[in-house]
Amino acid sequence: MSLPPDGEAAPTGDLGWGAVAPVGLYLHIPFCVSHCPYCDFVVVAGREARGPANRIASFVRALEQELDLRADALDRHWGPPGTAARPLLDTVYLGGGTPSLLPTNSIARLLALVRSRFGVADGAEVTLEVNPGADERGDAGAIRAAGVTRLSIGAQSLDPKELRTLGRRHSPDDVAETVRAARASGLASVSLDLLYDIPGATLESWAATLDTALALVPDHLSLYALTLDDPDAEGITGPGGDHLPVSAGARRWRDQARRGQDDDRAAAMYELADRRLAAAGFAWYEISNWARPGHRSRHNLAYWEGRAWEAAGPGAHAFDGRTRRWNAARLDGYIAALTPSDGSAPRLPPGLQEPVTASGREAESAILALRTSMGLPPSALDRPALGPTLTWALEAGLLEPTRDDRLVLTLAGRLLSNEVFVRLV
Amino acid sequence: MTIPQARLRNFSIIAHIDHGKSTLADRLLELTHAIDPRQMTSQVLDSMDLEREKGITIKARAVRLEHTANDGLVYGLNLIDTPGHVDFAYEVSHSLQACEGAILVVDAAQGIEAQTLANVHLALREGLTIIPVLNKIDLPSAQPDVVMDELENALAIPREEVLLVSAKEGTGVPALLQAIVDRIPPPKGDPKAPLQALVFDSHYDQYKGVVVYIRLAAGTLHDHDRVRLMASGAEAELIEMGYFRPALVPVPLLTAGEVGYVATGLKNVREAQVGDTITSADAPAGAPLPGYQEAKSLVFAGIYPVSGEDYPLLRDAIEKLHLNDASFTFEPESSVALGFGFRCGFLGLLHMEIVQERLEREFSLDLIASAPSVEYEVLRINGGAPIRVDNPSKLPSIGEIEEIREPWVQLSVVTPSSYIGALMELSTNRRGSFVGLEYLDPTRVLMKFELPLAELIVDYYDQLKTRTAGYASMDYEEIGYRAANLVRLDVLVAGEPVDALSMIVHRDNATKLGRTLVGRLRQLIPRQMFEVPIQAAIGSNVIARETVRAMSKNVLAKCYGGDITRKRKLLEKQKEGKRRMKRVGSVEIPQEAFLAMLRTDES
Ligand SMILES: Nc1nc2c(ncn2[C@@H]2O[C@H](COP(=O)(O)OP(=O)(O)OP(=O)(O)O)[C@@H](O)[C@H]2O)c(=O)[nH]1
Ligand code: SF4
Ligand SMILES: [Mg+2]
Repeated sequence: MSLPPDGEAAPTGDLGWGAVAPVGLYLHIPFCVSHCPYCDFVVVAGREARGPANRIASFVRALEQELDLRADALDRHWGPPGTAARPLLDTVYLGGGTPSLLPTNSIARLLALVRSRFGVADGAEVTLEVNPGADERGDAGAIRAAGVTRLSIGAQSLDPKELRTLGRRHSPDDVAETVRAARASGLASVSLDLLYDIPGATLESWAATLDTALALVPDHLSLYALTLDDPDAEGITGPGGDHLPVSAGARRWRDQARRGQDDDRAAAMYELADRRLAAAGFAWYEISNWARPGHRSRHNLAYWEGRAWEAAGPGAHAFDGRTRRWNAARLDGYIAALTPSDGSAPRLPPGLQEPVTASGREAESAILALRTSMGLPPSALDRPALGPTLTWALEAGLLEPTRDDRLVLTLAGRLLSNEVFVRLV
Repeated sequence: MTIPQARLRNFSIIAHIDHGKSTLADRLLELTHAIDPRQMTSQVLDSMDLEREKGITIKARAVRLEHTANDGLVYGLNLIDTPGHVDFAYEVSHSLQACEGAILVVDAAQGIEAQTLANVHLALREGLTIIPVLNKIDLPSAQPDVVMDELENALAIPREEVLLVSAKEGTGVPALLQAIVDRIPPPKGDPKAPLQALVFDSHYDQYKGVVVYIRLAAGTLHDHDRVRLMASGAEAELIEMGYFRPALVPVPLLTAGEVGYVATGLKNVREAQVGDTITSADAPAGAPLPGYQEAKSLVFAGIYPVSGEDYPLLRDAIEKLHLNDASFTFEPESSVALGFGFRCGFLGLLHMEIVQERLEREFSLDLIASAPSVEYEVLRINGGAPIRVDNPSKLPSIGEIEEIREPWVQLSVVTPSSYIGALMELSTNRRGSFVGLEYLDPTRVLMKFELPLAELIVDYYDQLKTRTAGYASMDYEEIGYRAANLVRLDVLVAGEPVDALSMIVHRDNATKLGRTLVGRLRQLIPRQMFEVPIQAAIGSNVIARETVRAMSKNVLAKCYGGDITRKRKLLEKQKEGKRRMKRVGSVEIPQEAFLAMLRTDES
């Protein structure tokens, strides 16, 4: 199975019903130098991430073990990689946390293991998330040599004051330096993550951050509204949950920061970005993502197109076309299961799974498709579960037909997309 | 075991809210081994979820205990735990009617409060023997001597009669049990006379039909007897009968003076209403018992299903709940904004909140209640008898009105004397007048005011608590109608009048209230996809206006592999929130908006 090139219609909404072998692989690397107060990702920071007591090596051993067990299961089920039932991987994504904190030889070994056990297609997209700080961005040349083709850089802002507000350790110059090093090493694709609606930010500071970012000539930009959730209240931080409890400090920070947020300002920032980016040659292709031609994230597109992917690492989620499965977030349980101290056989880490029902699947794939510039085919209007909402959204100006005959969210529709989605779930 | 009438004791436990009635009941249940220790929880009689959540008793509960007294004989005790909140005074008076005695519980640290006085007066009116108990004597702040002075001064209760108890620790409870046996007279009533049993409560059971709770005034009842409900005329062969222990435990026989339940098998809930008399179908009594005075509703509101198609379910739910709470009234009504629903009358705001919550929980309904109102009397220009208006939108047009009268209450407030000034001011602000003041002890007073009930239901109680650091307590009773210069304040949302938001207010306050109301509505109505103007108007005259700006952003920024399940759940939660809102025209209005005027945020 190969992915269509940018701009070509992808099948959406009615992929076949049944489990399939993965075309992507996500690896979750949970270490960060420090834990940013707004961040809900599965992260371990501080002593466990750096210094004499760090747990990186034991984590990497456990991750290798999990990859082996997952590959064994795929082998049993679908046969060896490279057959019709078991395609080679089209994408690999090392996310975090801060994967660039891993020693380069660990990255190389992990990717070698992935190639031998899962099979990676020629021309595959291999992304690594990096943080820009001088002591955490790693060596771009060695990263590239390990097989990485794409860097996703957690810039967050290019305004020193906002970076401080966010509790980030790096400076705007660090971001520039990371991009420069990536270019120098010949990495094929470079993406920047930025946050808007940061407390204290203004439309002007946001415009300046965008200009500075564009001046660095990235290939891809992800712009996220700063989102301050409460995973504890969502009930996903229990022992088997895929998130970790929020610390008291982070909770206080969020309560305070929420007061500095403003939906109207956020909407204005989004609209401004959409205009500037379009003028700079970036096409919008998902609610929070813009890319220059040929640089969309194929790995992320696979999520939105409902394809199957495998995953490993604490809190990581996988999907086989029928069931969503995830590992529990806690590192201790993860390491203990995969590398038992009593010498017993390694076991898959604790976790949960949830089958996607047929009706859930229909809503979910419509929502994911609508998040993207691919949208839905007009035939979706005839589906009883979707038609009324789509008609309403067309009338409300949230959705529009495109020249190539797809139904796609308008700019207003993207900003109010939950109003559409909530009518679909 | 059948216990002779001379060894029966029927009593209620009465007190101000939170003085420890239910906790005392726990100890009495324990000492008489009425409950398996493994099933014991605190306030075990507060079995309704809502009671446990709110930590208060809402419904009176009867329990039959058996106790071996000092004389070595077994006595049958029927205990009724009653609620303390002023809204449920009606439950208390019902309970007292089934008793010969009352245990008056007074918190030894708090002293006499407003409902202590009110409940004692109810008990005296029924001619009951009162056993005064000072509770919570384990507390370091307990002042039994001071409180005994208060009892002596305010209620003429001699200190020699007072028992000292800690319901929490159990001290003094055995002595109280003996006092119950010694002081409370047994019930009267001839077991051989024709059966007369008063229905004081009931519930609906899917299998056993209507289960009625009765107190036998005369006669004897055997299981499988054929009975007649004298008011409705319905007849039934009993499926089961028994005692509350506190679970329903079948017995073959109930006799005069006893309290128990009978399962009638009746499926039509209207055939067995609270207050009716049960008699034998074969040898009926000549006349029914006097029954109950109907509870007087003070607060009225419309209750509507959030989605119109649930109306039949709501009707069924209201009828069934009414069996278990006969103190609210209901009749069908329709609202332009809210569709078909019921106008319900309640004993107070807490009662309203509880009825709505019970309907929602026990019958899985999503409901909206309109802004609450009192009942007005309107005299029309063209004469005729005054009409009663409990729904502001039904007020005749201004041109037709000669006079509007509103209900007034006399308010009794017990407070430390340092807050006298603050309470005077509060009541004057609410169009009230001061009636008098009486010292209960050197530091605490009983103050009396008269004020319009409408002013009381807004947020008077919250204000009272706020201004006295929580120390004051209050009780009130209706004292009739008085004319006032009243007008109807209407609310328009997105240009459409929302009848369920209308309220009747004093003309002098109309502008200020209109501004407050639209200001609060602006905060309570969530941003919609378009701008929503909110206006307050008297007739066609707009007196206040605010705008809810259009929603600018509702978006989930990130939705990657790990987020899909989580984000779907967040969307489902948003959807649930929307489902709980009432769509009026094109605007989604949450329940809180209809209660906007009840919120306390002014001082
Ligand atoms: N220290 C102490 N606390 C007590 C005692 N009796 C009751 N309490 C506490 O007082 C609070 C109220 O007790 P309840 O038994 O629920 O009071 P109630 O009178 O039944 O209250 P309502 O039914 O709401 O009127 C609870 O927190 C009890 O634990 C006592 O003897 N000593
Ligand atoms: S560096 Fe990134 S992953 Fe780590 S805590 Fe901060 S935001 Fe989260
Ligand atoms: Mg109680």
